[in-house]
Amino acid sequence: MGWYDKLKHSVRFWLLRRLPPCKETVVVISQSLERPLSMRERVLLKVHLWVCMWCVWYLEHLQVIRRTMRESAAESELDPPSAPGLSPEARERIKQRIVANKQ
Amino acid sequence: MSEVQRKASKQLPDAGVWLDQHGDYLFKYASFRLRDPAAAEDAVQETFLAALKAYERFEGRGSERTWLVGILKHKITDHFRRIAREAPMGQEGDEGPEHAEFFTRTDGWDDHWNNEYAPTEWHATPSQLVEQGDFWRVFHDCLSPLPQRTASAFTLREIDGLSSAEICELLGIRLNNLWVMLHRARLHLRNCLQLNWFGQKH
Repeated sequence: MGWYDKLKHSVRFWLLRRLPPCKETVVVISQSLERPLSMRERVLLKVHLWVCMWCVWYLEHLQVIRRTMRESAAESELDPPSAPGLSPEARERIKQRIVANKQ
Repeated sequence: MSEVQRKASKQLPDAGVWLDQHGDYLFKYASFRLRDPAAAEDAVQETFLAALKAYERFEGRGSERTWLVGILKHKITDHFRRIAREAPMGQEGDEGPEHAEFFTRTDGWDDHWNNEYAPTEWHATPSQLVEQGDFWRVFHDCLSPLPQRTASAFTLREIDGLSSAEICELLGIRLNNLWVMLHRARLHLRNCLQLNWFGQKH
């Protein structure tokens, strides 16, 4: 490690000690998907993400999950998520009700 | 008999055929959102009965499937409203597990990620995930341990894309409840997906 990398490393650790910890940051990351963040929240989050790869990945994963679910919701107009269908008993019960209501 | 002929004669659909064509689809749609098979069966039954009553008014604009799903959406909404009335939001804990262990460390870096639970890099794009049917099973299983209302809030937000205000009204909760519920659902789900999906070879 050169002196520059060592310095960068120390600066990051120094910062991470002074910033809101990951436990509080993940709450803000989740809220960033729900509402606009305040200026203070935005700045603190940005600096935290600069020094903490874990929280960078956390934010990325939440975005992957959201995009995956929305995309598949569009596709599931053709085929809903693989899950069991109606049980034979339920199917029969509903059928009887439909027949009874037709008369 | 084709759908066109059936409509021309205003004849009501055969119950068995109707169920074969749409029953499973509607049930999957409902159970994914309600997370309660009995409630999903009820919603499907109510949908067919309502559709039967209104069949005269279905004039074949768009497909029968789309029309039925439209009715089902209302039945699902009714169900949520009923639950919100009958079982109002209780105390702490109703929102889901806190997972404090994710941020417990013994090396002086308390409240930062515990290495064991920390996020790792995922090598997959959303479309790759959607194509893999297995993903949905894992996803469904991962949501299961969450309280029903938290899982529903999460599905309504992330799949149906409802606004926060709409979900609060539907589930009878306050905005702060919703944010806590979504946060806990995400914390739990992300970890579970990493353990059971991204950490595995496919």
